[in-house]
Amino acid sequence: MTMTRLTFPVSRIEGHAQVVIEVENGQVISSHFQATEMRGFKHFVEGTPAEQMPVITPRICGVCSTAHQVASVKALEDIFEVTPPPLARRIRELLLLGQLIQNQATSLFIFTMPDRLDVPSIFHSLESSNISVQGICDNIARCSLRVRKAGTDLITLAGGQFIHPIKTMVGGVTSGIQREKAEIMLAELETIIPVVRILFNHYWQLSTSLKERIGTWGDDEPTYYITSTPAINPVYDTDTIRVLSPDGQVIDTFAASQFRDHLVFNDNDYSYAGQTSFNGKIMRANSLARINMTQSMGTEIADSYMARIERAFGLPAHPILLYDLCRGVELINAIERAIEILKEPLDGTDTHVGYTPKDGEGYGLVEAPRGPLIHHYAVEGGKITSAEFVIPTVHNILAIERALTVAAKRYIKDGQINMELEKAVGRVVRAFDPCIACATQ
Amino acid sequence: MTQKLPKFAVLQLSGCAGCEVSLLNATDWLHQYELVYMPLVISADNVPDVDILLVSGGVQTSEDLYKLSHAIHHANEVVAVGTCAISGGVTNLGNRDDVRDLFLSQAERHHLPRMLPKCRPIDDFITVSRYLPGCPPTPQLFMQLLTPDPDYTQKKTVCQECGRKKLRDMKPNHFFGAQQGSPDPDICLINQGYPCVGSSTRAGCDALCTKPGHPCVGCRGPSDAFIEKDAEHWFSSIQKVFESMTNVPSQEIQEVMRSPQLSLFLFQFADYDQKARPIRPKEKIL
Repeated sequence: MTMTRLTFPVSRIEGHAQVVIEVENGQVISSHFQATEMRGFKHFVEGTPAEQMPVITPRICGVCSTAHQVASVKALEDIFEVTPPPLARRIRELLLLGQLIQNQATSLFIFTMPDRLDVPSIFHSLESSNISVQGICDNIARCSLRVRKAGTDLITLAGGQFIHPIKTMVGGVTSGIQREKAEIMLAELETIIPVVRILFNHYWQLSTSLKERIGTWGDDEPTYYITSTPAINPVYDTDTIRVLSPDGQVIDTFAASQFRDHLVFNDNDYSYAGQTSFNGKIMRANSLARINMTQSMGTEIADSYMARIERAFGLPAHPILLYDLCRGVELINAIERAIEILKEPLDGTDTHVGYTPKDGEGYGLVEAPRGPLIHHYAVEGGKITSAEFVIPTVHNILAIERALTVAAKRYIKDGQINMELEKAVGRVVRAFDPCIACATQ
Repeated sequence: MTQKLPKFAVLQLSGCAGCEVSLLNATDWLHQYELVYMPLVISADNVPDVDILLVSGGVQTSEDLYKLSHAIHHANEVVAVGTCAISGGVTNLGNRDDVRDLFLSQAERHHLPRMLPKCRPIDDFITVSRYLPGCPPTPQLFMQLLTPDPDYTQKKTVCQECGRKKLRDMKPNHFFGAQQGSPDPDICLINQGYPCVGSSTRAGCDALCTKPGHPCVGCRGPSDAFIEKDAEHWFSSIQKVFESMTNVPSQEIQEVMRSPQLSLFLFQFADYDQKARPIRPKEKIL
């Protein structure tokens, strides 16, 4: 009997992780996605003054800090029974759109574009690049970074700092957005729409030409999908989670406070992350889940791309690499949606309401780029007595491992290992855009 | 490309990747440097020989220590980037003895990198030639490191950047929670009852927290006036500011300042276990 362990460190994702595939007598016996770092915020925030949580929890992750800040504030608002005014909710939505633009641009053009170009990084594409937009950017790297920066500028405008934002506060937001600043942001977003379209069309064409390889098309079984965005016109400051069955029916709907009756978390001894299932069944979150559960994006360009996806793949669709194309649809939708909001008056003074801190238990839900994110706190004497972070990446881990097993079985035959496996592992994991700093609480 | 560019690498230890994300917003180095290692954006196995090695995150696991020890042999210069690498950052909270026991007993996994007894700043293990402070450091500071502008200057403290008016006759009796109330946009946050530590926190962030009304939490560390002294000097300076500008009872001031979960401690003291804070010469800090 021979036993082989193949270890693949994974780069171009957030945080430290590796894939370990075990092969015994030429047969694949397991594929594990291992988070190899440990953050552990749920342990060390115990005893923290509750109102410090919106300062501490963004530091869970520099990529997802906006989602954590808003979820944290919402959990406290649930405990203190305070409702933010409508203007504050619009500005928070803008903030979450900024994060989505930043994240999807990063995942699409910086993390996964190199796989399509077969280069180690986007910075290695400077010479070969044939992308340029007159007067704006002259190669793939610069164009990609330009799009990404528009997202971070939007977070700065609505959140005060583009990493670990500070403007969302219990009861609302600290301030509105001045008209002239909104106009500058509007102009920037309008400028990058053609850049995004050129990059995304190029990406689409490169992706579909990858046919017949694993981690590409038609390679994994249908599964359950989870999102907290609504079916029409996605928003990301959300209140209800929905689950779609593999055949396309919404079979479950629940509030954040009921998550334990629907989602089951399991720890294991080979990863610091653990895994969540939909009552024991494998599920998927993130872009593909949202697009599968959305009837209309509600904006012109995004809807035209979504129609393209539906024509080519049908909906719900299950190929793993569709995650990446769905990110492109969401990126464009988020820009279009942010432009709409920025045209509204946002410079009013009714930005927050007062509150009286009290003890109790509360939940904060947002749709983070990777899926539904819940913060759950219990507060006694003004201090946190327990905190729980229900992390979207963890929803996807069983699905990642199943997809890795499919890839491993495809490329390991009769004891022979096709080294294409390494690239397939990268494509599969990056399609899910896992975030390890978030996943290891 | 004919010209040979200097090379740099970014080694991420245990942290949130916020420093790396900030670096991605500073892109003017693209034609002046070659970025050869940064797992967040590049597929590469090991740190190759480089001119500058940027290290972010704290030393939390056996793997962090291993990677750090290997990487420094390939670099002419090592720069500590961000609060976690410099002084521990928010994960300091996990260094408290009770929490660490919990980590080591419940969170350990047998087939994964082991947790070290404490999460440590990198200069506990290696020599650092420069420090880039902030949680995260601003893109401008990354640029100042990579492509220094000789005319670059910055104010000394966040307080000086903030510009809120300090009033002699407005003294609160108690501190508010960080998020409570509606602070007046022009008056110092301490006058209004917020425990702000901008008076001695290193400048360079353009007071982005305090200007919209959030008290400074000291993420950039002490200003030049305190950086070469031990932590007590910094503490007592803040205490004096609170005592002179408020009527808050001294016990409450003590509680706000000394609680490990409150903001100041949170960002700066990997020496919660009473180990002396290492002295960092101010010339080394950007």
